[in-house]
Amino acid sequence: MNTLKDALSFGDLPRSERIGFFLFIVFCLVFPWIIKNAFTQAVMIQFLIFCLYGLGWNLIGGYGGQVALGQAKNVGMSAYTVALLMVWWDVPFWVSTPLGIIVATVESFILGYFLFRLKGHYFAIATICVSLVWQQLFINWDLIGGARGVELPLKETPNFVYMQFSSPVYYHYFAFILVMGAIFYMNWFRKSRLGFQLRAISSGEDVAESLGINIHWVKVKAYCITGIFAGAGGAFYAVYYNYIDPFSVMHLELSILIALMTMIGGAGSMWGPIIGAMILIPLDRYLGAWLGGLGVTGVDFIIYALMVMIISAYEPRGIWGIIEKARAKR
Amino acid sequence: MELLIPAIISGLLMGMLFALVALGLAIIFGVMDIVNFAHGEFLMVGMYTTFLTSTYLSIEPLLTIPVAATLGLILGVASYYLLVRHLLKGPMIAQLLGTFGLMIFLRYLAMAIFGPDYKILQQGLLIGKSAKWGAVIISYPKLGTAVISVIAFGAVYWLINRTRLGMALKATSLNAEAASYMGINTERMRALAWGLGGATVGIAGALLTNFYYANPTVGMLFALIAFATVAMGGFGSIKGAFIAGLIMGLLIDVGGTFIGPQHKFALIYLTYFLVVIFRPQGLFGW
Amino acid sequence: MALLEVTDLTIAFGGVVANDRISFEIEKGEIVGLIGPNGAGKTTLFNCIVGFHKPQQGTVRFNGKDITGLRPFQTNREGIGRTFQIINLSGNLTVLENVMVGAYCRTSDRRIAGQEASEILSLLELEKDSDSSLLELPIAAQKRVGLAMALATKPKLLMLDEVVAGLNPKETEEMVGLLRKICESKDLTLFLTEHVMEVVMPISKRVIVLDGGQKIAEGEPQDIADNERVIQAYLGVKYAKSRKH
Repeated sequence: MNTLKDALSFGDLPRSERIGFFLFIVFCLVFPWIIKNAFTQAVMIQFLIFCLYGLGWNLIGGYGGQVALGQAKNVGMSAYTVALLMVWWDVPFWVSTPLGIIVATVESFILGYFLFRLKGHYFAIATICVSLVWQQLFINWDLIGGARGVELPLKETPNFVYMQFSSPVYYHYFAFILVMGAIFYMNWFRKSRLGFQLRAISSGEDVAESLGINIHWVKVKAYCITGIFAGAGGAFYAVYYNYIDPFSVMHLELSILIALMTMIGGAGSMWGPIIGAMILIPLDRYLGAWLGGLGVTGVDFIIYALMVMIISAYEPRGIWGIIEKARAKR
Repeated sequence: MELLIPAIISGLLMGMLFALVALGLAIIFGVMDIVNFAHGEFLMVGMYTTFLTSTYLSIEPLLTIPVAATLGLILGVASYYLLVRHLLKGPMIAQLLGTFGLMIFLRYLAMAIFGPDYKILQQGLLIGKSAKWGAVIISYPKLGTAVISVIAFGAVYWLINRTRLGMALKATSLNAEAASYMGINTERMRALAWGLGGATVGIAGALLTNFYYANPTVGMLFALIAFATVAMGGFGSIKGAFIAGLIMGLLIDVGGTFIGPQHKFALIYLTYFLVVIFRPQGLFGW
Repeated sequence: MALLEVTDLTIAFGGVVANDRISFEIEKGEIVGLIGPNGAGKTTLFNCIVGFHKPQQGTVRFNGKDITGLRPFQTNREGIGRTFQIINLSGNLTVLENVMVGAYCRTSDRRIAGQEASEILSLLELEKDSDSSLLELPIAAQKRVGLAMALATKPKLLMLDEVVAGLNPKETEEMVGLLRKICESKDLTLFLTEHVMEVVMPISKRVIVLDGGQKIAEGEPQDIADNERVIQAYLGVKYAKSRKH
């Protein structure tokens, strides 16, 4: 089928990119066999999950140009769905995850329907507000654990029904599969009708509308898809850490980090989010670990902030933009 | 019912402060259509300025207002020349995330330098004092804050509407290109707008420290209040910022009395939504 | 039944009446010009028909269907295409991709969209620019890309907003030739607004004149050129009077 061909074919990309992608795959595949250090393995898994978040955000924020700063709510809602269903009714991962993603998507749909009447900064602020409201709600909602959070019961590992494992290797490959799925989807997306229309909207809404594009609807769709990616990540989070609370899955910092990361790597480009994650996640973890030991927190954010300011000011297309410029010069 | 009157008074007093905070944002947006996401952090800087100057140099906090204002001015102008000027040339996403980056930068810099503790002023002319007026207790810091806020607001209003400089600023906000043909240095006007924004919110921060704690996270809360206020008043309208500020103050204090203080946030967000969806141009904006 | 029927279209912004009870019809296959001094309300009229503004009074009927107040993407799907004076210049999409966006209006298949886009680019002699970004092209080519984008949506009525503005005489001539060509090959009806008389008059079968929000004349180009009210509108009462002598 054409759709499958579009998703799997990277033929239209330059050779260098295809080679890079191939190396990336190889690296991810052999990683657990080479690296045995637990901390490094954990960083790698974090990296993969943020790739997932970033690829998703890239849809609405990068290709669509709509700066939505509330993805944490999707992560959280999905994570909570998976966690609670398991705690209350022993629901397996494979049943609760689709439900969690549906919850996140429905909320995105309803929210998007109203919020996309807004443009630019009005929209951005509104998404922040919504995310904060949800977080407050979850903190004060005792039925689902409130500020104490939810602890997932631990099953006998390795467990493929509940997706709980004692060795990070399983989680690594699981995350890798999710990321590959996301990449193939994005590969299809950028060639699809929806992708073109979204990019046209980002170029100029008036022109896009007179070319027959229902702007509102396209934005809502894109926003929902972004929510799906975030939801998938949230479900993974729940069974990986086996403990969630509103401060770790629904916090504003997460939404901001996802957006900043994608922007630094290159919003609106295929590989930008991955590049962004490649830089920021190790930076965050290693710097955080080193300085945290010294009692200083938040320095990683200072560095991201500087990077974002520099990139916004001088190369809004991010690191990928710099790479493309260098390529064009040759 | 006895709760209502103090809430109304407190709301009005706070409202005047909110108006001052929103003023800077309104000016910046009016002159160049960009939202300063770091506005709350500018406030935070003003608060720390007052706290540190007052505590370590043993100066009366009210006297540190000029210091905070000056620092705010410098911060605003520097932000413009180093960052914003470049952002304006770029796409929307760059503009949004650029000032966002500034916000994160200032916030975590403060966190790294000052730590996450809550700092509150102990000594000062107004601090901890209150007056009894009939059955109502009026807090002196809030009263003083309100009075000075109104004075500051009035001063800026006078500057914008009664001086040549102000006129140039207005001209730039209405049509920058035309203004430049008239010989107005629009670059300087934009820098001025940021400087003015930074200075006014610096003053607000100085005042706020008299009765509110200084902390790196304070920025976000007041920024959101400011956004909601400016949205209500109309982005770009100074008059609107004042009236909306009062309304906001009343909403938060009176509303908070009835539905409980932990829901104050929700009230702010809700207000923002309702305004932005049902009356996007605000009360007086364009 | 006329392809486009505009009846009593009225819209005001604030206190200014931009279009005042404007009525006219356009038959299938015609080329109709819209002229008038600056500020007469031409672009507003376009925007009302296409759907960017909702008129306060009056109706717009297209192909017998009432399309008053529909959004631009809806009128586009009904069959009205429109060019803009300035296309947002962003390096986001290449020329081919931009035209494909238009083609995607009528199909969801990428291959078909690509093919149709290529065909249109060939028709407008732009194939060599397929992979360029709009930013790299000279203004004459940019205008043609804008035309291609609108054509890709397979309109029955194409509304051209100052399509030769900014072009030198040679480029203008080429554009006019191009318009004639596409009009025939795509079986289009054209409604164009223009300031350049040398373009509007020869190509249009009929011309509508607006001034101060009102329609002041309608007819064949030759009659319009001699029409006193029209001359007044453009050149002032004194000139019109002096012409009489």
